Amino acid sequence: MSGRSIVWGLMTSHAVYSQTAFVLHTRKYRETSLLVDVFTCDYGIVTLVAKGVRKKNSKWVGVLQCFQPLEISFSGRSELKTLTGAALHGRSIELTGLVLYCGFYLNELLIYFLHKHDAHPEVFEDYRYCLVQLVTEDSVESVLRIFELALLENLGYGLQLENDAVTERPIDPNQQYDYLSDIGPVPTMSQGFSGKSLIALRKKILNDELVRKEAKQLMRQVIDFHLQGRELKSRALISQFIRQQSVTTA
Amino acid sequence: MRQSGLLNDLIQALCCLPGVGPKSAQRMAFHLLQKDQRGGIQLAETLLKAIDQVGHCQQCRTLTEHEVCHLCASPSRDETILCIVETPADVWVVDQSAVFRGKFFVLHGRLSPLDGIGPDELGFDLLAQRLTLGLVKEIILATNATVEGEATAHFISEMARQRNIIATRIAHGVPMGGELEYIDSGTLAHAFNGRREL
Repeated sequence: MSGRSIVWGLMTSHAVYSQTAFVLHTRKYRETSLLVDVFTCDYGIVTLVAKGVRKKNSKWVGVLQCFQPLEISFSGRSELKTLTGAALHGRSIELTGLVLYCGFYLNELLIYFLHKHDAHPEVFEDYRYCLVQLVTEDSVESVLRIFELALLENLGYGLQLENDAVTERPIDPNQQYDYLSDIGPVPTMSQGFSGKSLIALRKKILNDELVRKEAKQLMRQVIDFHLQGRELKSRALISQFIRQQSVTTA
Repeated sequence: MRQSGLLNDLIQALCCLPGVGPKSAQRMAFHLLQKDQRGGIQLAETLLKAIDQVGHCQQCRTLTEHEVCHLCASPSRDETILCIVETPADVWVVDQSAVFRGKFFVLHGRLSPLDGIGPDELGFDLLAQRLTLGLVKEIILATNATVEGEATAHFISEMARQRNIIATRIAHGVPMGGELEYIDSGTLAHAFNGRREL
């Protein structure tokens, strides 16, 4: 009897209840189940098996969609946990069109940059805020840049946008800089990035068209440096979509 | 009985079917060998023939042993409406429900960047060619009600808009005969967002 209660005690210690989470990615598993990568507030990215959800009349399949704020419960002692509960938590977020592709981009970034079971509550909060901003804000680009900046900062890969890396003097708005991904900005005579853009990026105020364009190039360069050759498929999808749209409007 | 090599191989081979585990595979193998040898021979021959001959329809990419499938070749189907689905199984389902009398196009998947599937992997170029021909006046996007299905539908609707073709999306939400009380919150939210004026 006592043995049984110890086992029971161990089992319950591996159960997590009512955890706020977002689904990042799902894939089919066996006949009727799904493997779901969820991003939770307190447990980071966790892979769950959602048993039987692809059956007719499953109560969770409509809930387990990307970009919806969820409250989930799961349990299990191995790497792969079992989903034991899922419900919509708060207002559903409806991403359509271009912002939906941007949502995929965010998910791909998180899957590449975060390690499983590594809790990052501040990244979770940024992600939630970013999804809401994507729906409400007009400038999708600045929303994405601010998320990227904060993500890198939270993971210890933050950009150095204060000083010139060689002379350690503050960034001059009238100077052009190259950004060396592992050191920081260095003055250059060639095109590079304008000091004005670097300062705007530091202040997270991206109202100017040129600033947004340069910020995009800079963030892309830094992110690619950290991805070490891995390709972001969603980025290619976004550019293909925008190319197509521009043909339409032309 | 497990020692028998060929019998064991047959059981193992049957396990490749969806929904068939070792126990069902064993039942099938014994049935074919003991009770229905003729059926077994027919099954083997048909299987070989089907795998050898069935390919993709040149027009709609569904599974067929002909160059153009019977749905594409049928003169009674409306060529101006094109229904776009994810899999050949979806073609069967829509066709059997008899609600749709137009033509089909099969993507063999959906846009899913996290699985490495982009427009190039889904035959969008073939679809673009088809839309450019000018015969199609409306496309119905019958991709699944998932975010990936939605992303796919949106991309194709842009392709259609570019060519002045009407793009419509199948409705999703509360199922027929469904009671609100038993519907999950995600589906219900979707049903509310997609409400229509009466």
